[in-house]
Amino acid sequence: MRVPFSYLDRQFANLEDYLADLRAYVPTGDFTLGKPLVEFEKRFADLCGAPYAIGVGSGTDALILSLKAAGVGYGDEVITTTNTFIATVGAIAMAGATPVFVDSEDGFVIDATKIEAAITPRTRAIMPVHYTGNVADMPAIMTIAKKHNLVVIEDACQAIGGQIDGRPVGSWGLTAGFSLHPLKNLNVWGDGGVIITHDEKTFEHLKLLRNHGLINRDEVAIFAHNSRLDTLQAVIGNRLIDQTGFITRRRIEIAQRYDRELGQLAPHVTIPVRRPGVKHVFHLYIVRVERRDELLAHLTKAGVEAKIHYPIPMHLQPAAKHLGYKHGDFPQAEADCRRIITLPAHQHLTDEEVGYVIEQVKAFYGR
Amino acid sequence: MTTASTLQVPYIDLALQHRAIKAELLEAAASVIDSGQFILGPEVELFEREMATLCGVKHAIGVNSGTDALILSLKALGIGEGDEVITAPNSFVASASAIALAGATPVFADVGADYQIDPAAVELAITSRTRAILPVHLTGKPANMTAIMELAAKHHLAVVEDAAQAIAAEHRGRRVGSWGDAGCFSLHPLKTLNACGDGGVVTTNRDDVAEKVRLLRNLGLRTREKCEVWSSNSRLDSMQAAMLRVKLRYLTQWTEKRIANAAYYRRALADVKEVICPSHEAHDKAVYHTFVIQAQRRDELKNHLAACGVQTAIHYPIPIHLQPVAQDLGYKPGSFPQAESQASHILSLPVFPELTQQQLDHVIKSIRQFYQG
Repeated sequence: MRVPFSYLDRQFANLEDYLADLRAYVPTGDFTLGKPLVEFEKRFADLCGAPYAIGVGSGTDALILSLKAAGVGYGDEVITTTNTFIATVGAIAMAGATPVFVDSEDGFVIDATKIEAAITPRTRAIMPVHYTGNVADMPAIMTIAKKHNLVVIEDACQAIGGQIDGRPVGSWGLTAGFSLHPLKNLNVWGDGGVIITHDEKTFEHLKLLRNHGLINRDEVAIFAHNSRLDTLQAVIGNRLIDQTGFITRRRIEIAQRYDRELGQLAPHVTIPVRRPGVKHVFHLYIVRVERRDELLAHLTKAGVEAKIHYPIPMHLQPAAKHLGYKHGDFPQAEADCRRIITLPAHQHLTDEEVGYVIEQVKAFYGR
Repeated sequence: MTTASTLQVPYIDLALQHRAIKAELLEAAASVIDSGQFILGPEVELFEREMATLCGVKHAIGVNSGTDALILSLKALGIGEGDEVITAPNSFVASASAIALAGATPVFADVGADYQIDPAAVELAITSRTRAILPVHLTGKPANMTAIMELAAKHHLAVVEDAAQAIAAEHRGRRVGSWGDAGCFSLHPLKTLNACGDGGVVTTNRDDVAEKVRLLRNLGLRTREKCEVWSSNSRLDSMQAAMLRVKLRYLTQWTEKRIANAAYYRRALADVKEVICPSHEAHDKAVYHTFVIQAQRRDELKNHLAACGVQTAIHYPIPIHLQPVAQDLGYKPGSFPQAESQASHILSLPVFPELTQQQLDHVIKSIRQFYQG
């Protein structure tokens, strides 16, 4: 049996509806900030329970523009976790600020208890990452932010639909950035991103920031990027956004089964903490395992496409050399890099396929 | 009730262009979906190779927009904080934004009667902090690259060509985008080679610049796991690349039609003394992204044409140095007399490839009618 990590061929096995949408759309020539984009932004905002959503070029750009809209730039420090995809850090650097890292906790999100120690007089913002689809401890982070007068930008690129006690991601920070990358829970056919905010002024500023700083066709208020979500991608997004409920439900269902059955393999397999009240949407299903590299090889041989997200933490990347971190600075994240494994858990897996993955992991540990 | 006199001439008709090739575009899109390769991959690589051949360069790198092409090129050349880059004040704002977003300071030099940056003015604008010249091939006409390359060599400056409007244009038999250290193209829907969304390309003959731009457009990732430099995500969508490859097959045909439309206007308006047609040099091949005339009583003419059903545009009514954004750069009205005077006289006539003879004649007739009272 082959259990693939990507699901795009299954998701788009029946193209007819999408092509019908494109057949109607392409001849309109409405390619830039067009009507389908406006519709998608409205629906995305509704989905997140936010008044404003704005489509941009990518999840990375969603974070860059959010930081710029918050006035974060040269000389400022932004606190984030070392256990994330590089775009989080790239965004901070692109905004002109300096990334400052904090270790992650058992559930792979920023360890909120370690944030205060990283605050300096130059800290301007905290960028928690709802990594893997788990939700960072936002109540605790907001308390710290308030106390130290810091802006919070949520990196929700992997966490559409995530909640704490029914409260959705993106509802705490000044803004939240989402990615629509093809392998995200809500995906389009290329790069794309969305920013949501509850703040009208920030929304207006973001509209300038994504479109050359243009107040109108002829007048420019600020030098700014061109970072617009392609309207063509919004056409696809409008069809897929209805599936988010199903996607999230199915991913959670699969994750719960993995938790249950793989949890019995302790201490070979350790399930990360599942905080009560958190709706984890499982963009990635990651567990800690013994003899990780051997397990990865075994699964690969058995046709199960497992992955490592990611083998090198941010503070040990070549790009981070100038920041002065070293091995040992963040023990949890560094140890995790050697023992984490990501199992396929996407919405198009069959129960048999999930069962096969479990069986293969069990077989590896002789159970 | 219909009348014969309501012939409409839109400024551009993207619907017309896309209706004609819809089947091919959708087929290209469907093949990308079937491959599941939405990010980079073969379609982007093939498009890059075809663009490199078209521009006569070693490397072409697909990015997210023309603006990003400029930003990433400047960054790849090591231009940033404290540096000055000289560009034209009559361009689209992105030429200057890119300089500012790379962290450098835009410095403007006035243009000549041909709308192109004036090499003599460039030389006067050079200071000890100048690191690069960013000429703009505005309207699809090449800037005087011979003179600019000489200046750059003399003063040890980098050259980044803003070729956003000028794909396939030539100066002395050599394509734009192949002269400088980098050439930057836009694939915006209104460009001659247009994506169905945003897109851009960097061209270069320099291996080091190509390598750096490739790194910068993809989050600084050397491999899936190793990040060499913090950067943004600015990739040309594979879907757009596939559709652009369809359009590349039509580019010569479309460009020749634009050139023919421009030649027709030029001949037909030669005796209208209130109108100056764009200049034309025998050693240049202009591709007429826009056909920009200078007209007496411009605003009235524009209104008259609108009443005749002819849609026109102004590229651009406010020069960049007089934009609200440029306030702290220290320019004022009068800083660039040529660009400012042109701003109040320029008018872009419809020149898109699908224009019919009847539509062209209607534009010409309407202009003549206006000046003959």
